[in-house]
Amino acid sequence: MAEERWRTLMIAAQDGDASAYRRLLLELGPWLRSYYARRLPAAMVDDLAQEVLLTVHAKRHTYDPTKPFGPWIAVIARYKWIDRLRAMKDSLNDELEDEIAAPDNGEAAHCAYTLDALMSRLKPAQANAIRLVKIEGLSVKEAAARLGQTIALVKVNIHRGLRQLSELAQAEHHEF
Amino acid sequence: MNFELLVDRLADDLEPVRPRRLWVDVGIMVLVAAVELALLFAVGFANLDLHRLETQPTVGWRLVSLGLISAVAGYTAIRSFDPTYSAKRPVRWLAAIVALCLLGGLFLGDVPGGVTTLLRRLEWTDGIHCALRITLLSMPPLVGLVLLGCRGAPTDMRRSRLLVGLAAAAWGAFSFVFSCPFNDPLFIITWYGLGCATTVLLARWVLPRLACW
Repeated sequence: MAEERWRTLMIAAQDGDASAYRRLLLELGPWLRSYYARRLPAAMVDDLAQEVLLTVHAKRHTYDPTKPFGPWIAVIARYKWIDRLRAMKDSLNDELEDEIAAPDNGEAAHCAYTLDALMSRLKPAQANAIRLVKIEGLSVKEAAARLGQTIALVKVNIHRGLRQLSELAQAEHHEF
Repeated sequence: MNFELLVDRLADDLEPVRPRRLWVDVGIMVLVAAVELALLFAVGFANLDLHRLETQPTVGWRLVSLGLISAVAGYTAIRSFDPTYSAKRPVRWLAAIVALCLLGGLFLGDVPGGVTTLLRRLEWTDGIHCALRITLLSMPPLVGLVLLGCRGAPTDMRRSRLLVGLAAAAWGAFSFVFSCPFNDPLFIITWYGLGCATTVLLARWVLPRLACW
């Protein structure tokens, strides 16, 4: 149904009917978004859908009015998708430049390193409980299930572990 | 950019277009090829000596083989500029045609034999001239096909560039037959092959850069 309507609109667009063309492009938008939503990360979907509209505009004379419209738009969408995948693959092979504009994560990295060092000095049961609940955000119940401990034991391990971490951190601070 | 805004801009920019027609593109290429051949005859580079058909048995083989390859590859190349067309099967057919044409050369008699005469048979100085001329003669159809490729929307660039290269190269070699005095199949396959390979490589490099969309 839609395909036959799109075909009629495309033929009118080839004749220069702007309102038919506008309607066609607006109807193609949701179809393209849904096509790419199953194939690409969400952030790229809208961008590529717009790119296809630009391609449809530039290559509209390659549509043969005697043939169905569906295969034509599908092959263009597919071609652009493969093109994008190829570009993504190429960008994975890009060499790192010496100077990259990026936020300074030194402080966060230093904190993560210090925390890791302190956690390694806790008992494994305490460190695991803290990591799952306080860092990864699991509930106490989920952590208990994963660690094979009772809920009460997980709570005790977290409590004692945090207290020991605090003491270790203060001791480190005094050493410096 | 906002989606609706883009649609508005594209609709405002809309102008009537004439849909691409296969027979028009084929007609353009036939015209380019015919004009090139007519010019070669007009300036005396080529001559139609029917006597050569009797004295040089490879002339007929060359004309039929190269004409056939050029026609099939050219037609398929033009069709491959349609985004919905798949040239997978025609390329297989074309490979079979090329193989048959090459095999046809084996059955041509009156060929000097012996390994010792191999280097002499190749006549490399004449051969390089021959390969260079074939490459030059294939330029008009190559340019024509690349321009048609830019106007079309080829989706299988690997096959399109192969077909464009083969069609142009075969036509360049076909045109050259009318002025080529050599009759040895080894010489022909080697140097015609080199000239054609150069054009195919050129098409392989040029087409994706110009006809990419």
